[in-house]
Amino acid sequence: MKRTTVMWLVARREIVERGRSRGYLVSLIFTLALLLMAFVIPTLTKGDDTRHLALVGTPPTELQAQINAAAGRNKVKVVITAVPDEATAKAQLAAKTIDAALALPADKTGSGTLTFQEARDATIAEICYEAVVIVRAGPDVLQPPTTQIVAPPSEDQSSALIFATAGIILMFIGIFTYGQWVLTGVVEEKQSRVVEVLLSTIRPRDLLVGKVLGIATLAIGQLAALVIVGLVVSQLSGQVTLPPTTIGGVVQLVLWFVLGFLFYATAMGALGSLASRPDEANNAAMPVTMSATLCYVATLVFVIQSPSGALAQVMTFIPFSAPMVVPMRVALGAIEAWQVVIAIAVMMVAIALLFEAGARVYSGAVLASGSRMKIRDAWRARR
Amino acid sequence: MLEISGLTKRYGPVTALDGATLTARPGRLLGFLGPNGAGKTTTMRCVFGLATPDAGEVHWDGAPIDAAARLRFGYMPEQRGLYPRMRVADQLVYFGRHHGLRAADAKSRAATLLERFGLGDRARAKLEDLSHGNQQRVQLAAALVHDPVLLVLDEPFSGLDPLGVATMSEVLRERAAAGVAVVFSSHQLDLVEEVCEDVAIISGGRIVASGGIDELKAASGRRHLDVEVGGAGSRWPGNDDGLTTVLERDGDSVRLLVDERADLASLLASAQAAGEVRRFSYGPPRLSELFMDAIGQAGGAGTPER
Repeated sequence: MKRTTVMWLVARREIVERGRSRGYLVSLIFTLALLLMAFVIPTLTKGDDTRHLALVGTPPTELQAQINAAAGRNKVKVVITAVPDEATAKAQLAAKTIDAALALPADKTGSGTLTFQEARDATIAEICYEAVVIVRAGPDVLQPPTTQIVAPPSEDQSSALIFATAGIILMFIGIFTYGQWVLTGVVEEKQSRVVEVLLSTIRPRDLLVGKVLGIATLAIGQLAALVIVGLVVSQLSGQVTLPPTTIGGVVQLVLWFVLGFLFYATAMGALGSLASRPDEANNAAMPVTMSATLCYVATLVFVIQSPSGALAQVMTFIPFSAPMVVPMRVALGAIEAWQVVIAIAVMMVAIALLFEAGARVYSGAVLASGSRMKIRDAWRARR
Repeated sequence: MLEISGLTKRYGPVTALDGATLTARPGRLLGFLGPNGAGKTTTMRCVFGLATPDAGEVHWDGAPIDAAARLRFGYMPEQRGLYPRMRVADQLVYFGRHHGLRAADAKSRAATLLERFGLGDRARAKLEDLSHGNQQRVQLAAALVHDPVLLVLDEPFSGLDPLGVATMSEVLRERAAAGVAVVFSSHQLDLVEEVCEDVAIISGGRIVASGGIDELKAASGRRHLDVEVGGAGSRWPGNDDGLTTVLERDGDSVRLLVDERADLASLLASAQAAGEVRRFSYGPPRLSELFMDAIGQAGGAGTPER
């Protein structure tokens, strides 16, 4: 039989059996629900917020009444305070005790100035506009107050950061959840001796790789669902403006998820074969899970702060950390194309080597009975 | 024909096989006997490439066994060997496809076998939801699904109830009648004697006896005499002439090991003198006795189970 046929048979069994298991559906729905909640809950709480607006200096006497009236029409509660000058207003804005400050001269010359700290609040802007128009009732009456923003954050940078962080977290969870499936799947086959029947006709490498590819398909299915739902919901809720790097970022995220999964899941499968019972499997896979966790933490703590720094550069070319570091740097726009290409090449070579090395450990260990095996014995074992 | 010659396998300091040689012929059932740890499972694993021998060869129809040949073999390991949470019919199809069957053929073969074992209505059930006996039937079906030309089963009778034993031996006989070479290991010697034509006895990694059961019995110098003398109790046989040895005694029944030189006529006469002779049967040893002899000559116990 062709080896591709064999691997396809193994992969298809994983996809069909696990895909229709309650576990897969439950985890898919659960993660989707978590994702939705992450976007929906902030929207709900923001909806009934009270706005705090400061009037600067000595505004026209009727302004406050008109603002209250406009707030009533817009069904928003606005708490109005008075501040003596613009410096005080800015201090309060920085301290976030007020959301905006409106300055309109008592003689009603000009349309006034509306100041925000980080971003323009459409609701306050609308209320102030309505109030100012009515108060002034002059020739250039329809002119809205000039809007000024004290400390506008870099819009792209902040959403790119959210996007990259979410991507890395998804990847880490995905690698662990589905890597665990490979791990326990290997041990269950070993324990139930199914592996003996299978290996009487197929090669250990094809069984291990077929299993990893099958479970990878399910993992990518779940990741794709999450990414699509995440993008759609974030657009609908209007919370996140997608950075211009989005398309490239999504492509890189999926690509690196596949590479990272193949790398880590193969390693977990090979180490899992050393265990003789499922409860030992996690101990056996500890070196791999520890490495993944270290790289994950390092990425979220250090690389995110200096995505072009020396550490980030080095981790880009190490197979253990590249799956997390590279998509992070890509999303932040802090990596050059040649680095991505080389990192992908390094990763693919590492995976190919790991397929062979993992299969050797796997075939040395998976037919052995008795207690947990040492990796060195499995490597040397001639079966 | 399966020919195993000079198979040697060491696991570190343990010698599992030490030049084992045996032959299994199409259309015949070979009982593979030996104490625990004698090398039965390792031999089977060598046939399926699950263990690589340090020396020796395994041939099928004159050629070394390769992956293509193994597609036509069926193997049933000692423990389970199926997916607990997979549907019964799906497992059979899966194993059938791994043996090179096309999807449609695998499906129809699976359905036929499940019907044959009375499991037609459980085809969509998960294996773990079946009774123990039915799980073993599915396991046998998995070994048969691709219609193998060689069937190797490790302890297929262990843990079966009498009904299961009957089904299993019926199926194995039927496969042999269809021209399949069937090899199975077992500790149930009376069952092997009843079911098999051939046996191979392994001890300490070496085959210490092999061939047709009838020929082995004929070749054995041992002859047994089963006698029941009513009311004689332990009075018969009274005087020891050095040519008979009492093997078992149960009330009036005695089983004797008789030297070839012994005079049967005088033994019968002495029995008649002692009481009413209800049974007086002279014949070759039972398989279990051949087994004990063979193992005894080889120096007894095997190495511990690996």
